[in-house]
Amino acid sequence: MLLVRAIQRSLLRPQVIETCSSFKTVSSITPRFSLPIRSRTIATTPHLRISSAPPKTSAPTSPPPKTPPTVPSDPALAAHEPLALLTALKVQPSKYIIVKIQGFSFLITPGDKVVLPFLLKDVRVGDTLRLTHATTIGSRDYTMNGNPYIDERLFECRATFLEETAEPLRKKEKKKRRTRRIKTVKSKHRYSVLRIKELIINDVPPAVAAAAGGST
Amino acid sequence: MPISALQAVSKAQNGVGAFILQCKRMEFNFCDWAGSSKGMRSFLKHSLSQFAKENPQIEIIVAPRPNQTPIIRGTYINGREKVIPVDGLEIQQILQKAQLLRNSSGAKLKRITRPVISLNESVRGIFSPFHGKKHVI
Repeated sequence: MLLVRAIQRSLLRPQVIETCSSFKTVSSITPRFSLPIRSRTIATTPHLRISSAPPKTSAPTSPPPKTPPTVPSDPALAAHEPLALLTALKVQPSKYIIVKIQGFSFLITPGDKVVLPFLLKDVRVGDTLRLTHATTIGSRDYTMNGNPYIDERLFECRATFLEETAEPLRKKEKKKRRTRRIKTVKSKHRYSVLRIKELIINDVPPAVAAAAGGST
Repeated sequence: MPISALQAVSKAQNGVGAFILQCKRMEFNFCDWAGSSKGMRSFLKHSLSQFAKENPQIEIIVAPRPNQTPIIRGTYINGREKVIPVDGLEIQQILQKAQLLRNSSGAKLKRITRPVISLNESVRGIFSPFHGKKHVI
């Protein structure tokens, strides 16, 4: 138990490539309601190191533990690991989400404007849309990948339908050799524009988490 | 010397908090005599009131413009104007043009190369070979 907590705490320090693999093995025994989050190695920025301990000039990057931390044998503990990662992801200041809209993927953050290469049907300008098909939610240090999509209940991503525009008229001239006839083809693609309002990661409801923990 | 704060202006992000329709005024000009205004005159008689009711944010002006083609002139919050001539069109087509003006933001039509336009810095930061997974030789 203490070892597991120490592992988690160690992730918040700038180190340790080996812990990444440990979480990969943990995720293989995650509960049904799985949270496929993995943590990335955190960049060795000076301010992070200073906050953990008084600076030691002898070893600026302290040597990481050589053996990977053991996988916790207790399955109930294993259920808590991805939840802890989800909380860590939620707490990070900036996040991104990769959503799919009619098959097109967009990597977006709150406040972005997305110009869709098509017109959305059955929507009026000013409507709020909820984007539900997300393949990835990430932050600086954590990534959550869906399989193929992330569970809808875990996040809320809303967008406002801003406008319907078009590109400027394009003309393409088509002409064959040794012929005087010129054919002109006109193109003016229409676009819908969305503004991403918010990206909220929800807490896993305790009933679901308990059920998931019990099922392993 | 006293230190003064940096002047910062908030960036407009319509739709994040509240949404404000960009089209603020639409002016319908028609001619009483000319045949090209026929569709426009019947549109003004039958369809315009419904359109105005659905869009209370838009100021609608109806003014005769004798001996000129009938037009719809949309004015937007960014100060630009969009004019669409509707000579010879029928009621449904004129309504479509009015919807087009309503749904537009007034910005000049621009070719879009990248779909996402963002003011935020990148979440994961710019690549550095000295941070992250170390390359093992």
